[in-house]
Amino acid sequence: MYIIGENIHIISDKVKAALKERDAKFFQDLAVRQVEAGAQALDLNLGPRKADWQEVFPWIVDTVQAVVDVPLSFDSTNILGIEAGLQRVTKAQPIINSTSAEPERLEKVPLLAKKYNTRLIALTMGSSGIPVAADERVNIALEKIIPRMLEIDFPISDLIIDPLVLTVSGCQEYCPHLIEAVRTLQYAWDPPPAISVGLSNVSNAVPNENRPLINRVYCAMLMGVGLKMMIANPLERELMEVVRIIEQRDASTPVGALYLKIADRIANMEEPSIEDVDMSDPEQAAIWKTVQILLNKVIYAESYLSQ
Amino acid sequence: MPVEIVKDKWPGSVRQVTLGATAAEGGTRSHTVTVGGEASLPFMHFEAPMPNRPRVAIEIKDRRPDDWSPLLLEVWGAAADNPAEWAKAAEQAGADLIVLALSLTKADGSPTQAADAAASVKAVLGATGLPLIVFGPGQAEADNELLVAVAEAAKGERIALGICEDKNYRTIVATAMANGHLVTARTPMDVNLAKQLNILISDMGLPLDRILMDPTTGALGYGIEYGFSVMERLRLAALQGDNMTQLPMLVTPGFEAWKTKESKVGEGVPADWGNWLQRAINWEVMTAVTLLESGADIVVLRHPESVARVKAVIDGLMQPA
Repeated sequence: MYIIGENIHIISDKVKAALKERDAKFFQDLAVRQVEAGAQALDLNLGPRKADWQEVFPWIVDTVQAVVDVPLSFDSTNILGIEAGLQRVTKAQPIINSTSAEPERLEKVPLLAKKYNTRLIALTMGSSGIPVAADERVNIALEKIIPRMLEIDFPISDLIIDPLVLTVSGCQEYCPHLIEAVRTLQYAWDPPPAISVGLSNVSNAVPNENRPLINRVYCAMLMGVGLKMMIANPLERELMEVVRIIEQRDASTPVGALYLKIADRIANMEEPSIEDVDMSDPEQAAIWKTVQILLNKVIYAESYLSQ
Repeated sequence: MPVEIVKDKWPGSVRQVTLGATAAEGGTRSHTVTVGGEASLPFMHFEAPMPNRPRVAIEIKDRRPDDWSPLLLEVWGAAADNPAEWAKAAEQAGADLIVLALSLTKADGSPTQAADAAASVKAVLGATGLPLIVFGPGQAEADNELLVAVAEAAKGERIALGICEDKNYRTIVATAMANGHLVTARTPMDVNLAKQLNILISDMGLPLDRILMDPTTGALGYGIEYGFSVMERLRLAALQGDNMTQLPMLVTPGFEAWKTKESKVGEGVPADWGNWLQRAINWEVMTAVTLLESGADIVVLRHPESVARVKAVIDGLMQPA
């Protein structure tokens, strides 16, 4: 699993405060800790920075690049800011996160990616928003995104399709469709583009104590359909453990065996079965309940685990 | 050519909830009313019979309301000045249940006191043998104060107390538990929030067969499609076996319909909108019938003519094809 660390994100109050102070040490520490925990690239989301992009984007690149060598992912809607950052990159091939399939974005952003030889994350979202159905998202990739890359001679090997994870707390019906979109996209082109998702989005607006469980169960399900790249929190130790369990097929613990079974069931286009679960083990029962909400079988509620 | 009717078989069903208690059960109601129990989508009698017909409640107030349509005040006449008389008139108009909605203030503008609320409820219970639902004024503090008094005054009558919301349910649930009553749980048109509130209430120890859920709806032309979808989704989840959604649904089409412009305004509207009273009644009836089709078990109405029409529709829908 190729993990793009998500923690340098302006939504965090600590990040917000550190940026205000231009606290280089804070960002360097967060960058190093993510890489040490297994991140292979770092997402930098400091917002559009409409007022100070000329200074902030180069500053964050210089700051982070001073301590880590991994690719930097520029997560912003501000195309000028991204370019200002790209001009400072001296290390690994960076990533632009992202373009959508909206005509204006798709016109400009891929050209920037090509000019600076970056990889490019493209969201399967058109002008009319995010479609529910898996097929429609795949169609956006096939009919809008990939043709545009071919048109400008952008290497498909540098394209990363993001079929868009939405939260189980408000867009529950999207959750199973996203799994199928990831499955199908791998056959969408030859050679297929990389596929990445923003994993933590699945638990947006979920109470904090429930988020990690939902994230790692969804991760197991997505690894079942072959997900190999994601933007996620590498400091979530139990998430990284689930990744390891599935990659190494480590069924040595009952909970590990369950995660593996869930991934295998999804891989075989079967529904995870209650027979796979020891419901007397509270941890396994919680995993099972989480599978049920992520497959949209049972309506999500904040207290779904106590049901 | 014979046509094969496709039938769904659902693993789950809606709980049955009984309102009211007769003398034998420790109350004074002339009969009880049981709702719920559906094992199929509404009126699909060929899949599974509906054990209980949807019920019509009439909403009355503890005093003449300041903000109701003159059309409603006209039809209820002097009865609207007195909750006991109003309850009698509502029973005569065909109500299966009475909803007594408490006012925040008395006619003189001073706050309604706990003793006033208890007296209103006792008067209504004395005037009609129908099971009763009591709604607080809709402000947390007043609801809690008044409903506790109401619950105690009506102990043994198995009334339903409303309205529990996610910000204010503990006191109401506790007093319902202490006095053998039911609660109604209202959430703003959202399946996740509806289920969450049911979990929270049942976590306090109130059995699920003493909860009615009100998923909130819009009126015809004012978001009813969204309300319909939420109710349909909740009902599908119930039939699929999600026990925290297997509760009968109470909805308030009377409240919704009578606040629309079409019902409220009689002057300065296009002539081809037609007769005001007929339009207003149509609005209430169409809203209610739409909600019946999305799974409502209790519809709360305001106009007696609407009650007659909605009951006639229910009669028709309850006939197996």
